[in-house]
Amino acid sequence: MNDATILVIEDDNWLSQQYSRILSAAGYEVEIASNALAAIELIDEINPDALILDVLLTGSTAFALLHELQSYSDTGSIPIVVCTNLANELKLEDLKPYGVKRILDKTTMVPDDLVVSMRSVLS
Amino acid sequence: MSATQGEHEQYLGGSLRDGLPSLVAAAHELKAPLALIRQLSLSLEDYTFGADEQKKMLRQISLTSESALRLTSDLTRSVRLSNALFKLEPINPQQLCEDVVHELTPFFAAHDCRVKLQHRKHPLLLIANRDLLRRIIMNFSDNALHYTDDNATVEIQIKSLSGGRIVRLGVRDFGPALSINVLNSLQSKLMDASTIIHARPQSSGLGLYISGQFADAMNGEIGIQRHRNGSTFFVDLQASNQLSLI
Repeated sequence: MNDATILVIEDDNWLSQQYSRILSAAGYEVEIASNALAAIELIDEINPDALILDVLLTGSTAFALLHELQSYSDTGSIPIVVCTNLANELKLEDLKPYGVKRILDKTTMVPDDLVVSMRSVLS
Repeated sequence: MSATQGEHEQYLGGSLRDGLPSLVAAAHELKAPLALIRQLSLSLEDYTFGADEQKKMLRQISLTSESALRLTSDLTRSVRLSNALFKLEPINPQQLCEDVVHELTPFFAAHDCRVKLQHRKHPLLLIANRDLLRRIIMNFSDNALHYTDDNATVEIQIKSLSGGRIVRLGVRDFGPALSINVLNSLQSKLMDASTIIHARPQSSGLGLYISGQFADAMNGEIGIQRHRNGSTFFVDLQASNQLSLI
């Protein structure tokens, strides 16, 4: 069992449920937020150990959330795995200053990639 | 315009008449459902789940496939609009919307949401192409589902406007309201469908564009009405005067 809590920020309910299945099977505690605003509230409440973040969110993009998280020292240190259909258009180097440790391509990743990424960023 | 205080209404007509949806936008739009289907399938292959969970995942796969197929079918229809002849006829929107509600109920239930039709006492008739109008309402409903919170209800509404000359079919969601910024970005995206990938809504960009094309083909117009607790996407069509002749 892991003690770590992962916050999944994804506006596709079925995809977030899918991430939750896989991460829960690996022993992680999983919480889900479907938009940036809900994510900020949950981050304050549960103090997650890591985030899985979609880029295209309802209401605002993930970049607004990344900026917000970087504004505070406690949230700025949370490791983030970006999980997106736009992986080809993003560069990890550009996102590293925002706490992004990995970028997963939704179209090519396998379910285990989530667990491998979490182990990597939490190690 | 029938917006009440605190609400904002906007037609999306002008930009919709130019060009066809780009291949890039269409391809991007199909990525999300295909990626989800792939993730669910791979998980069913590699992991062990209980019978109920397996059934739920298989249901999600089939419903996601149906949604993606609807989009491809709409795209094909949209591309062929310019050289096709459409039969415009008097249609009872209540009956058409009841059919849509019946068809979408399982999809909404799987998302823990409901879709219902706000019934009217007095029947209305409008002039439209049955297939295109059905596709518009399905598109709006798909979009509304995306913006609706769990356990909420999406409502299909039929209204008479402009002294009975216009019939408005709207799909009302009760999720977070679209901000003016999102509304403006939606408007500008519609002017260039190829830029859809740079901004949200996965379920409203291309679908809305196609709906605009369909409405245009029926001499109608689509628009958005913002509310404090959600939005209504609507299509305005000419009323049929058959009823008044009777």
